[in-house]
Amino acid sequence: MNGISIKRPLSPMRVAGICIAFLAVLLAAVVGSLLLGTAEVSPDQLWRVLFDKPGVKEAVSLIVLKIRLPRVILAGVVGFSLSLGGLVFQALLRNPLADPFILGVSSGGAFGAVIGIVLGLGFSFGIPCLAFAGALSSVYLVLVIGRRKMGMESSTILLAGVIINAFFTAIIMFFIATAVDDRLHSMLFWLYGDLSQSRFGETAIAAPIALLSFAVLYSFSRHLNLITAGEDTARQLGVDVERAKMICFLVVSVLTGLVVSFSGLIGFVGLVVPHLGRMVFGSDHRLLMPVSAMGGAIFLIVADSLARTLISPSELPVGVITAFVGAPFFIYLLKRKGSGWGGSSA
Amino acid sequence: MGRVISLRQVGFSYDDGAWALTGLDLDVDRGELVGVLGPNGSGKSTLLKIVDGLLAPQEGVVRLNGRPVSDYSRAELAREVAMVGQESHFRFSFSALEVVLMGRFPYLGRFQFEGERDMEVARDAMEATHCLYLARRSIHELSGGEKQRVMIARALAQEPSMVLLDEPTSFLDLRFKKEVFDLIRALTHERGLGVLVATHDIDLAAAYCDRLVLLKSGRIHTTGIPEEVITASHMEAVYECTVSVDRNPKTGSPRVTLV
Repeated sequence: MNGISIKRPLSPMRVAGICIAFLAVLLAAVVGSLLLGTAEVSPDQLWRVLFDKPGVKEAVSLIVLKIRLPRVILAGVVGFSLSLGGLVFQALLRNPLADPFILGVSSGGAFGAVIGIVLGLGFSFGIPCLAFAGALSSVYLVLVIGRRKMGMESSTILLAGVIINAFFTAIIMFFIATAVDDRLHSMLFWLYGDLSQSRFGETAIAAPIALLSFAVLYSFSRHLNLITAGEDTARQLGVDVERAKMICFLVVSVLTGLVVSFSGLIGFVGLVVPHLGRMVFGSDHRLLMPVSAMGGAIFLIVADSLARTLISPSELPVGVITAFVGAPFFIYLLKRKGSGWGGSSA
Repeated sequence: MGRVISLRQVGFSYDDGAWALTGLDLDVDRGELVGVLGPNGSGKSTLLKIVDGLLAPQEGVVRLNGRPVSDYSRAELAREVAMVGQESHFRFSFSALEVVLMGRFPYLGRFQFEGERDMEVARDAMEATHCLYLARRSIHELSGGEKQRVMIARALAQEPSMVLLDEPTSFLDLRFKKEVFDLIRALTHERGLGVLVATHDIDLAAAYCDRLVLLKSGRIHTTGIPEEVITASHMEAVYECTVSVDRNPKTGSPRVTLV
């Protein structure tokens, strides 16, 4: 038995190398997405616009810088955040089917947004504010209901999430049923996720918060590894489980609440991307976290490019694309054995 | 000299107010394998959690290597005391080596990766528990016995002076039960660990442990070498059923049979 050599499963070099590879793909996705769209933009023109060289029409410059770029970046930030949030919730709840919306961020946000639309507020400020407030209040309700004397128990929290979701969904349905004219269209687009209203202002808020959240969550990556192995085990090995859970729940809730208020409900990113990450890179969050976050950004940038171009000059809500790709993929995942979560004991 | 853990007049009660443990005195020395027996609800798991510092007793003192457990930080405790449970549920797929390296958690800083020394410790632990060949396998693919060997390797990777095992053989078949107890006894004596094992496998405990503690309703009913503890009268008093106790014809250790 002495002849067996074992290799260190994960080194900082390996994490760095894989991250650089993902950054390269991310950059390629951004460039590709900037080139795609109803108006034709050649690589040469894109180059001139981005690096402020002469020889491009103002209209092209405007399309690239004012319309496509903010949207591509917001898509990236939203994908990054949702995927990161899904990964962390799956670990905290020890449930591979968890997604970033499981604690009611989605229905609470939607409730706020629908109220905003009914009141005729704008997509640039009023609706995001109400959506954000709705998202946070539903998470707050879930945590209050789900919280026990002995701390937060995952199954109680999940159940509380389901109940709050059902309640808010009922109210949303009421407003949809009674909505008139173009407000119905706005509501539906919001509910399926929509990045067409993107402006730089939103990215300027969301991007730094996403990066900060990542830094905080990454500092808990080894804690999350142990929590997925069982809370008792984690506690025994020196993890302050309640504190880790509380901080991670809050960070993810605020982050997803924020991006949802800008983008509407974009499903499946937070579910599918972390799973893909696990299948390829294993279960260690020190690698899985950057990989999932960047993978989510890439996935949503590509999906939004499709949403913009498939039925051009009209466009689809991006959530339609993510669900259309995500659902069959997820079925495949469920049918595939040993895909990164416990088979019989799960 | 060799005392790892000592409990003096320890009492603990959960929120419901009833004493789960009371007036408990217990010492475990280095190189000593002590079995904790008793019916369900007699306080075995509570005792282990108190030794592990996960529960703080309202009465009495617990000393680990001479120092009160309440003075230790959680990380310090995790470097001295390791726990192996009945069964481990891994929701996500880690390799056996990754699981063993989790035992290094209390030694690493927040952003630190495992280094050469951690790998050496993990390798040594897996060799000692005969599971090095499983290093790359997913924990999900392992049998119950293999999994428990990996969990014991993880406990060793914490480089503890005290190891607690909470019914480590409940879900194992006969062969793996024996394998796990062989392993525990060998490690206890070779590495000079203090070991407490709570178990319902009375015959195995009698055959393998240096000393037994028999708990009843949160008190020590009796304690001593297996021959003193495993008697028909003690068993009947604690487990409240009629038994006969004889000697295993091959090994001479006490043997309990329900009658």
